[in-house]
Amino acid sequence: MTDTRTMDVEVAEDRHAEAMMINMGPQHPSTHGVLRLVLELDGEEIVKCMPDVGFLHRAKEKVGETFSLHKFIPYTDRLDYLAPLSNNVAFALAAEKLMDIECPPRAQAIRIICHELSRISAHLLGLGAYAMDLGAMTIFLWTFRERETIYSLIERICGARFTTSFTRIGGVENDLPDDFWPKLAAFVKEMPGRVDEYEAMLSRNKIWVKRTQGVGVITKEQALQFGLTGPNLRGSGVEYDVRKAHPYLGYENYEFDVPIGTEGDCYDRYLCRIMEMRESVKILDQVLQTIPDGPVINREGDDELKSVLPEKEKVLTNMEALIHQFMVGTTDVNMPEGEVYFSAENPKGELGFYIRSDGGLTPTRLRIRGPSFANLQVLTELVPGHMIADVMAILGSIDFVMGECDR
Amino acid sequence: MSDREHENEGGAAGARGRAGSLATMTDHGDPAAAQAVHERFPDVTCVAEYQGDVRVHVEPAHEVEVIRWARDELGYALFVDRLGADHGEDAEPRFDVITVVYNIKTDKRLIFITTLPEEAPETPTLIDVYRGANWFERETYDMYGIRFTGHPNLTRILMPERFPDFPLRREYPMEGKGDFAAPRRAIGGNVDGTDGKVAVPPHPGEPGEKHGDPFGRTPGQRT
Repeated sequence: MTDTRTMDVEVAEDRHAEAMMINMGPQHPSTHGVLRLVLELDGEEIVKCMPDVGFLHRAKEKVGETFSLHKFIPYTDRLDYLAPLSNNVAFALAAEKLMDIECPPRAQAIRIICHELSRISAHLLGLGAYAMDLGAMTIFLWTFRERETIYSLIERICGARFTTSFTRIGGVENDLPDDFWPKLAAFVKEMPGRVDEYEAMLSRNKIWVKRTQGVGVITKEQALQFGLTGPNLRGSGVEYDVRKAHPYLGYENYEFDVPIGTEGDCYDRYLCRIMEMRESVKILDQVLQTIPDGPVINREGDDELKSVLPEKEKVLTNMEALIHQFMVGTTDVNMPEGEVYFSAENPKGELGFYIRSDGGLTPTRLRIRGPSFANLQVLTELVPGHMIADVMAILGSIDFVMGECDR
Repeated sequence: MSDREHENEGGAAGARGRAGSLATMTDHGDPAAAQAVHERFPDVTCVAEYQGDVRVHVEPAHEVEVIRWARDELGYALFVDRLGADHGEDAEPRFDVITVVYNIKTDKRLIFITTLPEEAPETPTLIDVYRGANWFERETYDMYGIRFTGHPNLTRILMPERFPDFPLRREYPMEGKGDFAAPRRAIGGNVDGTDGKVAVPPHPGEPGEKHGDPFGRTPGQRT
């Protein structure tokens, strides 16, 4: 984060008109959070863009070094706060990779539901806010109607709408309630039609097409150099989706496509997100049909290790389980020595965790690789050459969230 | 690696079933590429592996050269992450700079680790190889004070400009220091401050030995 008063601004001298500095954000409505852009203008054309991040820094990596992995799960809710369940899943998987625990099949299916529901929800917000920035208010209201349905589903999953903290190392907190399944089935049935509605409003809308096509073109080379991930990378024509490349949670057993763009402009990124929503619905449909029965937390051979929390139901009825839970909660868990990098395909891109453990109770390094941090950096090359009004189109199409950028 | 993982590796992908997801999560390491790097630069690299993550240790002086070679010759075109890590005050060498790169053609990942001493930790910048390393190096400098020579704008990125320390160094206290210290009550310190946490005057209404009874009674006195 840079102090405004000390920011050293270089102004090139060989311009016709005097350059003008514009400060966009951190309270600008189209920056979706506390992002500040310092723009240098020549007339209405932008010649230099300096993003300024860090306003939402909460020292999550430092906090992670003082807690056991179990206790860090609630902190992951606040990374990408538009898809908290997704963060929970990604972190639990990273911790499981370090501790070599595998979660049972039913928990994997439940985690996929969490992952895909939050992907749809995050894309809906991204789409709605993007359209609103470019003047299409209706889409925003429509997407929030569907987000409300998703939040009711998430409320049934874990009792909370935003701060979910649903996963546990080795599984999930509890099995889903019986009345969740018909609600999810109804949502899966309804959603493709809703996506059609959004597309009918936007995909061939003249204003939308003019504002997004050919604007903010990210070349393949740029995308790779800057480490873009998620729809931003795929919009530029790079076929990389963590769910396909290194399937976790048994993604290899579900049929879905990875939409790829060709031009790399704002319109392609928009289309990628729209199509990803459809694919997510397809995955949810398959999970509904194939979800296996069984336990939702893996406690095989764990009585000595005491590294996985027992089922909540047993805690309330069984003395041993209660003691076990108390032990895990108060004395923390001894981790094996080692270091792992694990990344999951989150709505914004690849959310990576680099966990290093010296065998103690807390990790010695817990790195969070927030996709938005890398995605925002490309603005320095992307924005110059555009008009001011295009900045809104570009920001909306990058679809970032400052919670995981600033961590 | 555990026995369970070996079992999973033996099975075909289709027969693995939904339970074997740990195997597909740990198959992204690229020992062959690591071996290729080792053969190309025999004196500067050694290879370690855990849970499928292949890590190549590189001397700081050769880091840029090795990673550029991996990008151009082995196809590691996607920059993923560059981060710092601290082994603690007593360790020597103390700091690590870790670079994660990805090959989109073979779907393999490679991790490069450079170790740096405690005194003036410094390594060349990676911007010439991956332009995206810019902010990641600024963050590493911000958090650990590791300097990247040749970086065009090595300033703080997440912390405020006037922040005096490097907060992710292990000796930096969780509750902050100096102007940036957290109030003791906010971090769960006990009332009289004997737990060694940051001393901030207790709240006036708080009961405790130091300032006695809120109504000014002496022990044993009846109201």
